[in-house]
Amino acid sequence: MANTLIDGLKERISKAITINQSVGIILPGNNYSDLVQALFEHIISRPEDAWVYVTITKPYENLIKQFGDLSDARNIKFIDCISRAAGISKADPNCIFIESPTMLEKLGLEIINIFKEVDENTDKYLILDSLSTLIIYNDPEIVTEFFYHLENKTRARNIHTISLAIEEEGADKYLNKLIYLNDKILKVRDSFI
Amino acid sequence: MVEKDLCTTGIEELDIQIGGGIPTGSTILMVGSSGSGKTTLGMQFLINGAKQGERGVFFTITEPLFKLTKNMEGFKFYDKKLIESGMVNLIDLRIISERLGLDTEKYTVEDAAALLDVLKDIADELNVKRLIIDSITALCYRLQTKEMIRDFIFKLGASLAAMKCTTFLTSEVPPRVFQYSQYGIEEFIADGIIFLGDVERKGDLIRTFQVIKMRGTAHSRSKFAMSISSKNGVELAPLLKSKE
Repeated sequence: MANTLIDGLKERISKAITINQSVGIILPGNNYSDLVQALFEHIISRPEDAWVYVTITKPYENLIKQFGDLSDARNIKFIDCISRAAGISKADPNCIFIESPTMLEKLGLEIINIFKEVDENTDKYLILDSLSTLIIYNDPEIVTEFFYHLENKTRARNIHTISLAIEEEGADKYLNKLIYLNDKILKVRDSFI
Repeated sequence: MVEKDLCTTGIEELDIQIGGGIPTGSTILMVGSSGSGKTTLGMQFLINGAKQGERGVFFTITEPLFKLTKNMEGFKFYDKKLIESGMVNLIDLRIISERLGLDTEKYTVEDAAALLDVLKDIADELNVKRLIIDSITALCYRLQTKEMIRDFIFKLGASLAAMKCTTFLTSEVPPRVFQYSQYGIEEFIADGIIFLGDVERKGDLIRTFQVIKMRGTAHSRSKFAMSISSKNGVELAPLLKSKE
């Protein structure tokens, strides 16, 4: 069941992000791990692309532990916005740690700085995990403003974005407003496969 | 159209916001409380200049040289070779004052004139195009009257401008207070004011950067978030409109 779900997710994500500049994925909390696994499997299958994964949901270390293959992947860089705030002080050359998920301007700078180092002809992708957790740590208005800026900046640099929104969390009113800024929305339901 | 002679800071977003750079020969007051990033920004400005072939000098009054260099070694922009080659000169102003016999609590008019001459001579002999005094507040503390402060900064600025040397004077102010200087004089003589402050967001302090005044430029007065990292030094991004 889980494998079928992950395969289904991979296929939908792959199609959506190839055609669209920005994709929003709305998912129930209980499908979160499946979706992240599908994303990582997709990333590993595309070694020629450059990916940046921003985690506000789980510490980088946890993601690496959970999805071991990632430690060898050279086409992905991480930005972890929650470990430092949680008192986790480990360093890793493949991950930039931001002091707090409230430092949104710094997050924006670090995303663009990573992509500046990527060859112009390489396809570039950004994953924001997730909008709903950003809203937990910040006022929804400021997250909205941040996301507008981020979408504009990434579009200008031809960076594709995938933004996750976990349905059970956060203020739905703001989440809906944010997620619909994307060119394409994928709604994950157990029943969709 | 006359092309302006501009001194690029090397901090991309700042140079954009002031139309390419600071007018060469300007005296800029860089205002901020402790930990706001004045010294780092000043040093980055100096080192970026040296990388473009402009010699610079950093006069420190607030911390010993070994501490200053130790703190800077963590930054990727810092290049020890520029110090060794004399492109960037670091001078402890307290040692110069001692050598001049200026070890009194307060300077007389003659003492101030002697110090001014030494600063001008050093800038002239080294042929520097960028100069930092960190901090002008500590220096002004030794000047007895507002007139002396005004006279000192005015003469220093005028002499350095004649040498086409762009100067940063750091000004220490208390945290979360919107004032430009300790003595209320410095900002009126300076050609430009850069204010380094902070805003609180959910209990975290976000560093901010704002150009208040920059004579000769059509600059932005928007507030920016300022990031300081070992990899990129000072970087600016438009500040999100947080509830202050």
